[in-house]
Amino acid sequence: MIELYKVDKYFFTKNTKKYILKDVTLTLPDGNIGILGRNGAGKSTLMRMLGKIEFPNKGTIKSPHSFSWPLGLGGGFVGNMTGRANVKFVCNLYGKNKEETREIIEYVKEFSELKEYFDMPIKTYSSGMRGRLGFGLSLSFDFDYMIIDETLSVGDAKFRKKAKDALLEKIERCKVILVSHDMKTLEQICDQGLLVHNAKLHYFDNISDGIREYQKINK
Amino acid sequence: MKPRKPLKVFFSVIKALFLRELEMRMSVGKSGLFWTFAEPFLQVFIFVSIHAAISRLRGHSASTYEPTVFMAVGFIAYNMFKNILTSSMGAFEANKGLFNYKQVKPIDTIIARALVNLFFTIIIYFLFLIIGFLLHIDNLLPKNPIMVFVGFIWLFIFSIGIGLLAAIGNSFYISIGKFINSISFVLLIGSAIFFPIVSLPSFAQKFFLYNPLVHFMEMIHGYYLYGLDDRFVDYKYMALWTIVPLFIGLWLYVRLERRIISL
Repeated sequence: MIELYKVDKYFFTKNTKKYILKDVTLTLPDGNIGILGRNGAGKSTLMRMLGKIEFPNKGTIKSPHSFSWPLGLGGGFVGNMTGRANVKFVCNLYGKNKEETREIIEYVKEFSELKEYFDMPIKTYSSGMRGRLGFGLSLSFDFDYMIIDETLSVGDAKFRKKAKDALLEKIERCKVILVSHDMKTLEQICDQGLLVHNAKLHYFDNISDGIREYQKINK
Repeated sequence: MKPRKPLKVFFSVIKALFLRELEMRMSVGKSGLFWTFAEPFLQVFIFVSIHAAISRLRGHSASTYEPTVFMAVGFIAYNMFKNILTSSMGAFEANKGLFNYKQVKPIDTIIARALVNLFFTIIIYFLFLIIGFLLHIDNLLPKNPIMVFVGFIWLFIFSIGIGLLAAIGNSFYISIGKFINSISFVLLIGSAIFFPIVSLPSFAQKFFLYNPLVHFMEMIHGYYLYGLDDRFVDYKYMALWTIVPLFIGLWLYVRLERRIISL
């Protein structure tokens, strides 16, 4: 359950406040949530706020759950360090012991299919390779919620399928908050929809209704 | 995922950041690492040479203290302060991507960087001892090791306070960083690193003693070297300069933490 209470979120553009959310009070039941909205409507910002790494200007967002880091952008990796070193860093961050760290490293190496690149500095990676590393890494931790920003589109067709399968298996044990423009993926993975439009949040307990509404405003 | 105790989270974050920061320093390549260690020795070499030249010009050579040790200790302490200050100023910006991990707070990056600087300071000090031993320099070891240690730790805490203030200021007003960079030369001259305050005329002494760093240098020098003492050190003044910036810094930090995260 995630509770939003009188939430305001805005950014300053040239000389006006641009509201992303204005006075939103809403309770989200547990479930896989798909976030919909047009470009710049504030989907990613909303997702980050739900994941507690960005904060509303006013109001509160409360939930008892643990959230993953937002998956996808590859932020948080150090370019000068190898893939292995970056994985180790995240394990340290989450207080994993030596044995657990070793297992996670093995798993990520295997899953990401980076082979010898796993021991190369991240700056030599393509964006697809970065995405694969990040995705594999996040699969090896157990969170209540995984927050995912469009990552399912990294890598080639073969990896995309593998990633989707892995995610589908994963969500049997945890929930997902997903931002995507790919309606098919949303429909497959999520059961609830959250539409950000004109600084308001519209909640749909069935994702298909959300998608229909989204397609209406997109016309 | 099981919730962990806040203190445990804090320590694992600091450990992770510390190791990462170390690894980053190592990965800049051999020449980068070489200069981290070579720079202080070059500084000491240059200033010892200048000192020797001046003494010869003046025609008297005997100082009451060992000039090489004096310079080395001064530069090691000063570099620690300067490195903590400059690395703090860049800490938020450089670690922005890490705030994606909820448990990483901006202040953690400052603490981790400061600890890395402390770690390098210790290594450089032992390198100095080894080199000094090989060169047969007299009175290499401190007169009062405990007070020298206290001086260094105190300076370390002072540096974190100033560094935190500078980091917060720098993230909202870029000119603060520019200002600090441009006065660093004045700070180098004005911090009594390569001369003791006692060697100055009395009107200049008063002027220099307004600089809190001078007190730290005098304290460390006074307890390290035979022939010097801490007569000019005002411990209350040092405490004031440690506590006030630290408290203002923490107060501002608590208020601005969220804004720094989403900067």
